[in-house]
Amino acid sequence: MRRSLRKQRPAVLVILACALSWTLASAQQPAASITSQDLRDGLKNPTRWLTYGGDYGNLRHSPLTQITPANVNRLVPQWQFQTDTLGKFEAAPLVFDGVVYVTGPLDTGWALDARTGRQIWRYRRDLPSGLIACCGLVNRGFGVLGDRLFKTTLDAHLVAISRKTGAIEWDTAMENFRRGYSGTTAPLVVKDKVIVGIAGAEYGIRGFIDAYDAQTGKQVWRFYTTAGPEDPGHGTWRGTDAKAWEHGGGSIWVPGAYDPELNLTYWGTGNAGPDYNGLEREGDNLYTASVVALDADTGKLRWHYQFTPHDIWDYDSTQMPVLADITLGGELRKVVLFANRNGFFYVLDRATGKLIRGKPFIQTTWAKEIRADGRPMLLPNSVPSEQGTRVCPDQSGGTNWMPPSFDPSLGLFFVTARESCGIFFTWKDDYTPGEAFRGGAVQRLGDTQSSMLRAIDVTTGERRWEFPFTTQSWAGVLSTASGLVFAGGSGNVMAFDAKSGKNLWHFQTGSSLYAGAMTYMVDGRQYVLMPAGTTLTAFALAEF
Amino acid sequence: MTRTARMIAVVMAFALGCISAHAAAAQDRSAPRSEPRPAANPLEGNALAISNGAAMFRNRCAGCHGADAHGYLGPDLTSYWSAGGTDARMFDIVRGGVPGTEMIGADPLRVLDKDIWQTLAYIRTLSAVPAVAPTGDAVSGERVFRANCAGCHRVNGRGGQLGPDLSRVGSARPRAGLSSKIRGTSDVIRPGYEPVTLVTRDGERIRGVRKNEDEFSIQIMDTRERLQGYVKANLTAITVDKQSLMPAYGPDRVNDRDLDDLLRYLTSLRGTTEVTR
Repeated sequence: MRRSLRKQRPAVLVILACALSWTLASAQQPAASITSQDLRDGLKNPTRWLTYGGDYGNLRHSPLTQITPANVNRLVPQWQFQTDTLGKFEAAPLVFDGVVYVTGPLDTGWALDARTGRQIWRYRRDLPSGLIACCGLVNRGFGVLGDRLFKTTLDAHLVAISRKTGAIEWDTAMENFRRGYSGTTAPLVVKDKVIVGIAGAEYGIRGFIDAYDAQTGKQVWRFYTTAGPEDPGHGTWRGTDAKAWEHGGGSIWVPGAYDPELNLTYWGTGNAGPDYNGLEREGDNLYTASVVALDADTGKLRWHYQFTPHDIWDYDSTQMPVLADITLGGELRKVVLFANRNGFFYVLDRATGKLIRGKPFIQTTWAKEIRADGRPMLLPNSVPSEQGTRVCPDQSGGTNWMPPSFDPSLGLFFVTARESCGIFFTWKDDYTPGEAFRGGAVQRLGDTQSSMLRAIDVTTGERRWEFPFTTQSWAGVLSTASGLVFAGGSGNVMAFDAKSGKNLWHFQTGSSLYAGAMTYMVDGRQYVLMPAGTTLTAFALAEF
Repeated sequence: MTRTARMIAVVMAFALGCISAHAAAAQDRSAPRSEPRPAANPLEGNALAISNGAAMFRNRCAGCHGADAHGYLGPDLTSYWSAGGTDARMFDIVRGGVPGTEMIGADPLRVLDKDIWQTLAYIRTLSAVPAVAPTGDAVSGERVFRANCAGCHRVNGRGGQLGPDLSRVGSARPRAGLSSKIRGTSDVIRPGYEPVTLVTRDGERIRGVRKNEDEFSIQIMDTRERLQGYVKANLTAITVDKQSLMPAYGPDRVNDRDLDDLLRYLTSLRGTTEVTR
């Protein structure tokens, strides 16, 4: 160890300076349990990773600089952990105090030694038979506060788990899973509340975002993502089914962001249901396919912006909102950055929800552009039909649940993008609780499919660089202050120069990637942790 | 879009559909309990079911069975009932798939029983009696196969492996599709058999079929049936060819009578070994 430290002296000095500044800032050693202030500080302590997006802004941009473009080719595996389950990881692991906390498929979770990958405890829920979940029996990660971890379950519960033992501390039913409700998102923990959303729009659910007391598990507030009779957006549900809003969809797949100054949480909402047949739900169908800004204390809607009014293409806005402060036209703006499944990259004012810019980051044939009033300018011949209608992108969209990253120093937003088209068909589905409720389906057109990592300049919306993948990628993105971007495709986890997009390193994990890398530091050594299939692989610089 | 491009698009769409369906099926999921399957289609003749079924057929079936259900990559469905097929068997095929072919089973979480019955109600409206009785001699056709095809294609454990195994091709392909493939008028190439040419740094050209590929490597079976992987950084060119490695067998190589016999033989192939699901 001494020899390796000598060889890595410059990097070690940077780390020590980093750790010292954190120590001075906090005036104490890292706490044994996580406070709400720790969550608010996010990656100010860069050795940790406490939320799905790394910090409340969801930048997924680490200040760690031990691994650089110059030495990343020395990155080698240090340990692997295998779940011994079926399914796949879609989670963002959390790390603090030398321990990795990660959720897996089929409602599992582990605490692992961050130095070696050795298991400390395992959590596994006894799931009931008859589970209904459209898109994989997955989970996207833990939330944390104090000595508790929080997790949604496939049978639509929210559970609190002891960080020290993996034992259940409370278990709250959010909804009845037999009606198609399921939980897959990682929680967003704000102050004393655990905020989560529900999934299941392909089964005719009525989506919601809930806050629960972190101590007791009691519900504090609920916001429905389909507007009911008491809500101002209720008039946007018209058509042949007067009760369409009751099974109108609006899933939550990934956690929101939080702005402590505005005390607002921001959530992307899923598609309206049935997915493709909009006849029985004419109107904009608020608040589906939108971003909603909710008061963190009360859940009251402060503003909303709908990306895809009257969505009939399954363009869920189930992407992670990214909060950033960027200079536009010489003015510092507090914005939400949102690369949407509908193919447009949006910049919104974070306080008002007003559109600043919407620009396509892939080919789109459903809408030409986003008008100044914030609504899409629809293109003709893009409505799904019984005969089939060709529309780009296909239902999987320009991107999907995989999280992007944002490097504020470069002003670059890195997103796993997809070019695609599909033939959209419709038919009539009658709503039956717990049964598939899509009203159509899509035939993907193979010769239109490609996938790539794209770097978008947030000040212009223009593409700065891209790296093409051989096969469709579902991997998330991580960037670091040393000028690196980690992404992947075809089972390869890869590192890129953030400025140029040049590929600098890769490692074949042996399984498809459905999550993003994260990074942490323990014992002065920076690790990059990549979930792939049912295996976690931790990389660090070779010590030779 | 050219016919070739359209065909490739259909094949790719099918392949993608298979992959996504397989990924979904790979989940250890507990499907909702279905009611016992009735012996006869409960929705036969139902106007709404036929209308819905038409859209479902176009979406899920037409890519392989043709827009008119007369067969394209997959078999002709219009003569199924006139040949003695039953609703129950067709339902089971759709739900369970056909082992050893591209026909995969329908995921019960995505395709409800009533969806299958609606689709069958539509297909039944296209039902017809076959216009032409099968022709050709299968025994003679097997001799034609051994002489011309077995170098690259395997049937029931005998033959080459550069091309697809044809042991069950009679369950998977219609006669017309096989005929056009043999005569060289079809550009359909099955995934895993795309012809590829690699050029090494030494200038060596290697031909084969692509088995897999990622951003940094490619895996092939070369024309001598050698499985081998190559790191792209060590290659100067990788060309995925448009033309199949299979040559066209025009009337000068296989006359019309031999082709008739060969097609009778191929369409009779249903496999002899049990396929494990």
